[in-house]
Amino acid sequence: MFNSKNFLFFIAVFIETIFNANGDLFNEELFIKPLPPAHLYTYFQFTTLVNDNLSSEHTYLAPRSLVEVLTRFQVDELHFTLTEGQWRHNHWGYPVLDAAPGAELYAWFSSDVENVDTQWKKLSSTLAGLFCASLNFIEDFNTITPQMALQPTGAIPQNPNITSQLRYASLPREIVCTENLTPWKKLLPCESSRGLSALLNSRMIHNTNYHSIGVHTRKVCSSSDCSVVSLEIKQTVALVYDSKIIRTTDWSFTKLFGQGLPGGCPLASSSKVYVDITTNDTQPFLLSPEPEKVLLSQRGGSETKLALYTIKPENKMTTIGAKYISKKDLVLMKLPPLYFNRYVLGYGKEFGGIVTELTNTFWSSIDVVVLQNAPWWLPIQLSSLRINGEASSEMVLARHYSPGRSRQKPYHLELLLRLPPKSTTKITIDFEFVFLKWQEYPPDANHGFYVGSAIITANLPTARNYTSLPGTASLFESSINASKPWYPAVFRTNGVMVSLPTPDFSMPYNVICLACTVVALAFGPLHNICTKELVLKVVGSSVTLKQKIINLFKKKKE
Amino acid sequence: MGLLSDPEYGSVKWVRILKKVHRPLCFLCYAVALVWFVMLANRDFNNETYFSENALLPGLVTNEFNGEYAAKQYLTEFEQELEEKYYDTEKIPVPWLVAKMSQLHLEVYTHNYTLNYPLGQGQIYKGTNVYGILRAARTPSLEALVVSAPFRPLSSHQKSTAAGIALMLAFAEFARPQKYWAKDIIFLVTEHEQLGMQAWLEAYHGLQSDSETFYTTLGSFWKPGSFGLDLTNFFPGFDWLGSHKKCLNPGQLKARSGAIQAAINLEFHSPKIKYVEVKVEGLNGQLPNLDLVNLVHKLCVKSGIHHSYKNSYSWVRNRNKVDDWVNNIWTMVGMVSTQLAGVPNGNHGLFHRFGIEAVTLEGRDSSDGPAPRVHSLSAANFHRLGLALETVLRSLNNLLEAFHQSYFFYMLPATDRFVSIGQYMPSLCLMCAAMLLRALALWVGVQPTQERSSQAEDPVDTEAKEPGERPPERLSESSNQRVHNRKTIKEKHSDSESEIPGEQDVKEVVQSSDERVANSQTQLNFSMVNVGANYLLVHVLGYAAMNSPVLFTQLGAKYFSLPSEVSVYYGLCVTSAVLVVAAPVLPRLLRRGALTYEELTLVNILVLIELSTLCLALGMHNFPLGLAVAALYTPVALLSGVVVRGRGWISVWLQRAACVVLQPLGALTAAMCVYSVAVYGGAEGAAAAAGRGRDAAMQAVMFAVADSLIYGNWVFNVAASVLLPVWVVLWQIVCNSVEGPSPARR
Repeated sequence: MFNSKNFLFFIAVFIETIFNANGDLFNEELFIKPLPPAHLYTYFQFTTLVNDNLSSEHTYLAPRSLVEVLTRFQVDELHFTLTEGQWRHNHWGYPVLDAAPGAELYAWFSSDVENVDTQWKKLSSTLAGLFCASLNFIEDFNTITPQMALQPTGAIPQNPNITSQLRYASLPREIVCTENLTPWKKLLPCESSRGLSALLNSRMIHNTNYHSIGVHTRKVCSSSDCSVVSLEIKQTVALVYDSKIIRTTDWSFTKLFGQGLPGGCPLASSSKVYVDITTNDTQPFLLSPEPEKVLLSQRGGSETKLALYTIKPENKMTTIGAKYISKKDLVLMKLPPLYFNRYVLGYGKEFGGIVTELTNTFWSSIDVVVLQNAPWWLPIQLSSLRINGEASSEMVLARHYSPGRSRQKPYHLELLLRLPPKSTTKITIDFEFVFLKWQEYPPDANHGFYVGSAIITANLPTARNYTSLPGTASLFESSINASKPWYPAVFRTNGVMVSLPTPDFSMPYNVICLACTVVALAFGPLHNICTKELVLKVVGSSVTLKQKIINLFKKKKE
Repeated sequence: MGLLSDPEYGSVKWVRILKKVHRPLCFLCYAVALVWFVMLANRDFNNETYFSENALLPGLVTNEFNGEYAAKQYLTEFEQELEEKYYDTEKIPVPWLVAKMSQLHLEVYTHNYTLNYPLGQGQIYKGTNVYGILRAARTPSLEALVVSAPFRPLSSHQKSTAAGIALMLAFAEFARPQKYWAKDIIFLVTEHEQLGMQAWLEAYHGLQSDSETFYTTLGSFWKPGSFGLDLTNFFPGFDWLGSHKKCLNPGQLKARSGAIQAAINLEFHSPKIKYVEVKVEGLNGQLPNLDLVNLVHKLCVKSGIHHSYKNSYSWVRNRNKVDDWVNNIWTMVGMVSTQLAGVPNGNHGLFHRFGIEAVTLEGRDSSDGPAPRVHSLSAANFHRLGLALETVLRSLNNLLEAFHQSYFFYMLPATDRFVSIGQYMPSLCLMCAAMLLRALALWVGVQPTQERSSQAEDPVDTEAKEPGERPPERLSESSNQRVHNRKTIKEKHSDSESEIPGEQDVKEVVQSSDERVANSQTQLNFSMVNVGANYLLVHVLGYAAMNSPVLFTQLGAKYFSLPSEVSVYYGLCVTSAVLVVAAPVLPRLLRRGALTYEELTLVNILVLIELSTLCLALGMHNFPLGLAVAALYTPVALLSGVVVRGRGWISVWLQRAACVVLQPLGALTAAMCVYSVAVYGGAEGAAAAAGRGRDAAMQAVMFAVADSLIYGNWVFNVAASVLLPVWVVLWQIVCNSVEGPSPARR
């Protein structure tokens, strides 16, 4: 008799061998970084590399449902995130991958695709079904084609028209919930039964300050000359815990995720946990259990210490945690080299403006691309664009503006700016309020209308607060000691809300009430006539006046 | 208009009746309006408050506030800090506040602002606000609530707000670890009372002083271009309006949250208050949504805190209907008197302008106000106040949409009763209707009536005769045109800023009067131009008076070295005196011939229409102000008429006396003096008390001017640019006696 556990393990090892033979590689990683004073960032990354020739009929470790979609719609690169909350760059530094609040989807289609727009519509509708998200609301009127802000990260054949194959849309009002997490987990080879994904307990995830789930697929070179490409599917979860909300600064897997780690996924080539212990110098804490290794990473002038744990599939239940030794409340924070803020100007229902403030705290200038997209109901005019209050600025190196069309196309503005060192740049653009047709108002119309985040693409000259992976790399370990001349990053600012002139919707309600009353009033007599029997009554002899008076009194008594 | 343009209508039945009964009818309207207003306070004529917004779900949550000890500690520490380090300064303890808020893990920022005082000799005031943002989990900071408290230094003559700040911090400490917040909460401590709040709000909404070129600043309060004439060329010595800058520089905010949905302002001097006064009146008499007011009152009840509004106290419930009524009347009168000046009675009042609903909770005990049986009330404590704040904020947290369901225009006769705009407007409309009726009566009075003498003898006969005399088509055509012409003229003239009517209009007038002359076969001295020029000039003078305070300040400081308030007040006094003396002569100066009865009647009609329009327009925005102006000026406007030479000098002088008393500045000073004499007269003697009243009036004028420049309060602007000209025209009418109407009209 086999011990069932051993049997499972045997099967797992067996399967793993087979799959490895087929070349699909699955890696799972968890990166934990304390964000003093009160937050903790945890980032899960599940990377599947499909080395095999891609076919939609058969997949090994890669999720078939997703691969099928990708091959069917000839998608070269796809990025999809569902986010709740706002990443606070000026307090938390930079995340590994930034995401806009709500749902965000962008994809490059293969150059063979001729009608990108129809493919895009089909793709978003299919993904809507796959992730239970309202991506089906992506239409022409909220889709743009960014010209400068977004570049493919994968291996895509050189094509001067690469941007024409790109479509971008975001749905800032999308609410992210467990119903999105469950289908997302189903895409993983181990689902949520084993491995790091077992930590993704939806009850605990929605207890966080910020959470974002994402799926990123791209083509990567598998040979040195890039003649052979393979598909990389990266599934990510970013969570930010608030020590005030979980009511302790000390953290452990049980506190954060509700349970310990039951061991790595048997199908994974590696399961690793990295803990950023750089802040240990200022806010000392003890890790338990002791890390396997402490890696020192020097990257772009900043030094990071990472504690490494390797999780084996056969491991027992493990819980990694940290205990703070001294409780210092106030920590001087280092500002990241670039941070930003977006807000609405003015009040009332006539005019307004959107301001995007970019602050460069670094000692050299930084080049950024700022992409603003405004829905068609918020017309922004290029003529009202001001940079630091001036209509023409030397900071603008390039500019792209495509005006929107009512109910068809959003307004789209991209600026390539050179931010001077140690400065704050304010980009202001005015908008007008428009009247919508009464059916175009969303439910709860007085709640306000969401305007999506602006995208800020920067080449950062320093890796301070920078945690992203190098462009070509798939795994977290490749970010160690990865010094480069500059560090590309794509950020999202916060979204804003404006309240458009809204009619009094109680009016239609009143009309309905009135109409119903009228119908009800008409129904009574009609029903009466239809159902009651008419009976002839014998008319008696004429009544005398005296009789009449007596009758009158009788009636009153009744 | 068919009826009015029909020349025969002089003999129509209703016109004859109107001519006979319009005076008693007008006064009846006025009396009914006053009675109506008083009746609104009766329980049978107003409504019980109710929640319109379902999403508020008031009081459904279990209260968890446990910060009583923390609040006490904050209070002791704060008072200690003030006494140790800030006893001789009026500065806000920024480091202490920043430290406390950062310890609570709020995002803390400071905000600096500057005021270039517009009426002084270039004084500059600086201030600092401190605010901490509690970022709600899992939201992208799109909406926010504000909890604010003004900071008052130890030397302030107002009650301290230390307990309010302590409660706010304790509440922040309690709220920070909660995960249910759906909106950010901004905890704000402002300096310099309303100035700090105004600066913070302007900065929050990005109304910077340096972005004047934008049309986004169209929404800002004051723009340098609005001064029209650049008088710097004429008076090079003066610095006009601080070199064309907005006087309040709101500075920059380092961080923001989203759209602010609601704000609660706390003014607690001690935790052991007896009851909470809910203050609602805002800038220019704007009110918060009734749902918010209602919410605060209802949740005070739930948290076991006594609450009040003006004369209505939650713990006093009159069994007697009449007592209740009288009490309600006083509450409404209290509300009227607060809204009248358009000055907010707390920091909440400045939010309303930005579409943010806000109220102030002020802690009171037996030393403030004549509330009955205060001593028998149990004192509140931090625990109960905290519970109240928690329930209110959690209720607001439930809000999905901005407040829009309930009333924005209402009056409160009691804490739990309200009068909606539909119920109170009729009282104002009736007063305006009285003035319009009088205007109509005057209009039909000056119309040429045919065969007046024969009609008087035998009206039936005239009616029968007239159609035969004239072809009706021609008549109605020409008179239609005439009325049309007159209408255009009237529109031109009632607009104070419009240019002088073009020549073409004049010709038409002449033509139309020619026609009339031909029609009525009587000699008329009727020149629209003369009357209109006077009318326009008066309004221009009013506009100049509106812009004069800055000039007076400069003059007073340069030549007499007087403080600004004295120079503004006496400058306006001198202006008024000059107007009182010179205004009656104006209409005579601007013309060649003598004034005629018809002309003055026409002016009278115009001024009646202008006054009633003014009252209605004011009433739509700030009902109490409209009502007060109407209540004061309607009787005079109704009484005063064109003075005919050689008739009843007693009534003429009565009219003149009534009119001169109501000169806006004079009326203000008189009211202040009377009030002072009534309050302090016994103790100080009437003369001293009157002096006090004059000082009060001086202060009032100064505050009105400063508020108009800094906050955008339009009471002074309306009073100077519309009410004053109206009064001047009325004064001109009663001061000029003319020959009676031409014989045909008699």
